[in-house]
Amino acid sequence: MRKISVYIISLLLASTISAYGQEEAQPVPDSVDVDLRIRAGLEVAGPVIYFTDRNSMNLEGFAALDINEKISAYAGGGYSDFLYSQYNYEFTTKGPFFKAGADFNFLRPEMAEGKYWAGAGVRYGLSLFTFETTSFSHDNYWGRVSSALPAKTNWAHYLEVAGGFRAELFNNFSIGWLISVRKMIYTGADKAYRPVYYPGYGSSTGTLSFGISYYLSWSIPYKKIRVQIKPEPVEEEEDEEAEPGTSTDFSNIGRQGLGR
Amino acid sequence: MRNFTQRIFAPAVLLLTLIQGSCTPGSCFEETNAFVKATFYNYATSVKASPDSLSMWGCGRDTSLIYKKSRINPALIPLDASTGQCCLVLRINGVNDTVSFTYTTTVHMISKECGYTFYHTIDDPVFTKNTIDTITVTKTSITTFSEENIRIYY
Repeated sequence: MRKISVYIISLLLASTISAYGQEEAQPVPDSVDVDLRIRAGLEVAGPVIYFTDRNSMNLEGFAALDINEKISAYAGGGYSDFLYSQYNYEFTTKGPFFKAGADFNFLRPEMAEGKYWAGAGVRYGLSLFTFETTSFSHDNYWGRVSSALPAKTNWAHYLEVAGGFRAELFNNFSIGWLISVRKMIYTGADKAYRPVYYPGYGSSTGTLSFGISYYLSWSIPYKKIRVQIKPEPVEEEEDEEAEPGTSTDFSNIGRQGLGR
Repeated sequence: MRNFTQRIFAPAVLLLTLIQGSCTPGSCFEETNAFVKATFYNYATSVKASPDSLSMWGCGRDTSLIYKKSRINPALIPLDASTGQCCLVLRINGVNDTVSFTYTTTVHMISKECGYTFYHTIDDPVFTKNTIDTITVTKTSITTFSEENIRIYY
């Protein structure tokens, strides 16, 4: 029995040491291979919302090309068809929109592993929209006046900053979401008769437009690069117990006036 | 990283719900009528002077009063957007005068929530002089903004 116990303990120790030895044996990599990918995706929140609100249809997709492990070139586009009814008017706007810009991955390469993305994107947006007020009415002392305003087509230009996350669910297939803030640069529309909604941009109420996009994307690697891993900065332990004025480090004495 | 994948779902669902809620029509809290804002003045002193009583109605519509009030200044005069002119009767301190406006009308969007209204550009009004001495136009653009358009000296 004793021999058996010694044997088991020996085995456990050996396995522990072996495991420890394996951990110790793994060298800390100084570089990592990263797949640069071509990515294509579809925004799925728009179609989902369309099932609950038939007045708002937004179809959007994108393509992206990894320039390096941090930066991707982005090109997107879509089509919106929007109907807005208020108590005294009905408004429609529809048209395609296009976006181009860059995405920046804030994750370290060894953490991103080519599968995860947490970062931000900056885009320039262009919206070609046709809008029309199909009916409106106005009441005052003299009675009700009903009318309509004809369809107009314009270009709108805007900037978009988006931040979010993306993760690979399974091989080459990812999901992710982005929160976007958009700033209109130029609407091309008359102030007295302007759209309440711009395809790709969103509501015209306020100086900024906010939105969320939920993406499903598929990617294929087109190139593998080796990226150097920056070593973790080693934090120097400070002598917290040392009180001010009691430091024994005299190395800075005489240097304090040099920066002036 | 599995947590990373799982955690991106929950905020997305929450934010989608918020966005869906934010798409519901909002309420309108702005002025939606573009009135002619008329300020009353004493013609002798050129000092603002609210009439002791003021009644107002459209010509031929004396059963449908716009105003029957005392000490009101300024008075808000509605224009008829379906035509380029309209006529109103002003009974100032019991004395009737008629004031006729000619104007052009344009559609103006107030906001997404409030929709559209009509703005006007008025010409010099034509009026009788039973109690009114002079009417001067200070601003020809009739908008929803709170700014004086005409001065009525009586």
